[in-house]
Amino acid sequence: MKIKVDFKKCQGNARCWSLAPDVYKLDDAGYVLEGDIEVQPGQEALARRGARACPERALTVEGEE
Amino acid sequence: MASVPDHVPPDLVREFSIYTSPGMERTPNGCPHAAMGYVHKFPPIFYSPSNAFDGGGTWVVTRAEDQRRVLGDPATFSSRRGHFEKSMGEEFVIVPLESDPPAHTYYRTLLNPLLSPKRVEAMEAGARERAVKLIEAFRAKGSCEVMNDFAYPFAVGVFLQFLGIDESRRPEFLAWADELLHGTNEQRQMAMKKVAAFIKDLLEQRKQEPTDDFLSFLLKSQVEGRSLTNQEMTGMGVLLFVAGLDTVAMAIGFDLYHLAREQQDQARLRGDRDLIKPAVEELFRAYATITPLRRVTQDTVFDGVPMKKGDVVSCPTMLANRDPVEFPEPDKVDFNRENNRHTTFAYGPHRCIGSHLARRELIIGLEEFLDRIPIFRLKPGDAPITYGGYVFGVENLVLDWT
Repeated sequence: MKIKVDFKKCQGNARCWSLAPDVYKLDDAGYVLEGDIEVQPGQEALARRGARACPERALTVEGEE
Repeated sequence: MASVPDHVPPDLVREFSIYTSPGMERTPNGCPHAAMGYVHKFPPIFYSPSNAFDGGGTWVVTRAEDQRRVLGDPATFSSRRGHFEKSMGEEFVIVPLESDPPAHTYYRTLLNPLLSPKRVEAMEAGARERAVKLIEAFRAKGSCEVMNDFAYPFAVGVFLQFLGIDESRRPEFLAWADELLHGTNEQRQMAMKKVAAFIKDLLEQRKQEPTDDFLSFLLKSQVEGRSLTNQEMTGMGVLLFVAGLDTVAMAIGFDLYHLAREQQDQARLRGDRDLIKPAVEELFRAYATITPLRRVTQDTVFDGVPMKKGDVVSCPTMLANRDPVEFPEPDKVDFNRENNRHTTFAYGPHRCIGSHLARRELIIGLEEFLDRIPIFRLKPGDAPITYGGYVFGVENLVLDWT
C-alpha cells in the first residue's frame, strides 16, 4: 500500500502523525516529510486512518482517490 | 432586523447570530452546537444582518467544503480585519492572526517550530504534573467545579510553562484571564493592556539577560532580514495568551460535560485508555468553539453569491464539523468515527499554531481526570450553563463522585 503525499498542501496539522506516528514522519516545524510513503504490512489500517484525518487533503491512499 | 446592504439578494437573508440566536445566549443544560443544527436547512451561504460582535452583518458559510475554499484563499478572503488593533489602539499588532501571506508566511515559518509536535512532547511532563496537582487538590472532596478548579488554572499554567514564567505568578494571570473572558468591554481592554505591559517588561528583562525561552528566541529572530519590532513581539505574546486560554479551557469543559452526561462514553474511555486519543479528536469535532472571520478584498461572486469588497465572511467551525454532507450522523459522538476531517483548528495557512499543544493538553487532562477521579456525574440540582458567541463556552460545571 502506498500513500501519496501532496507536500504543497500540508499545513502542519500533524493529524496523520498523531494517529499513525510510525507511518508519517514530520520535520522540525511539524510538516509531513516530502515524498510518497510505502506502508509496511500490518500498518495499513492506521495509515488509512491517518490519511483520512488530513483536513487539507494532502494525503491519499494510492488507488483510493 | 439590522439593515441589509443593497448588493445582498433578499432570498439569501436569514436571521442568525452566534451571540443571540436560540441556544446561543446563556442556557442552563444547553448544547449550543446542537442548537445550531437548523442552520443547515438555510441556503449554504446566507447573509445574517446581525451576526457580528458589534451587531453588524456577515455572510455565513455553512458547508465544510465551502469553508475550506474561503479559508484556503487569503487573496480574496483576507485576515487583515484590524479587529484587535481597532479595539486596542496601536500598542501592538496581532500577528500572525491578523496578517496575510507573504508576511504571514514569514511569521509562521519562524513560529511553527516553537509549537511543533516535537516541542510539545518536551512540555508533556511539566503539563502533566500541573494537571495532577490540580486534580489531587479536589479529589477527596468528591466534587469540583471544573472551570475554576481545573480548566482555567491548567490552561494558564501551561501558558506560563511555555513562556518560562514562574508558577508563583499564576494568580495574577488567572485574574487577567477572568477579566478578559468575563469582564465588560472596558475590563477586557484593560486586561489585555496589562498582559501586554507584562510581556513588554519581560522583553526588556530578556534583552538584558537572554535565556532559552520564547521571548529570548523572538529577540534574536529575523523576518525578511530585519529584527522583529517590539509591537510584533508583544502582539505574539498577547495572542498566545488570549488564543490558548479560553479555547483550551472550554474544550476541557465541554468534554467533561459530555462524559458526565453520557455515562456509556465515560465507561468506554475508562475501559480502553487507547481510545482517549481518537475520542479527544471526535470531541474536538463535536464541540468546536471558534468562528474564523475574513474580509472580502475585492468584489467577487462566490458560488453565485455576490460579495462586495469589505464584506465580512464568517466560517463557524461548529457548522463545518456538523455538516451532514461531510459527517454521517453529525450530532452523534462516535469515538470510532472514520474520516474525521474536522476543522476545529481552522484550515489552510492560518491553521491554529497551538493545535498540537491544545491536543496534548486535552489528552493529558482527560487521562489524568479519568485515572484519578471515580465515575463522575453532573451534580443534581446544579445546571451547567453554556453559551455561544465568538468562543463557545461552559460557564460552570459542577461534577460529583461521592
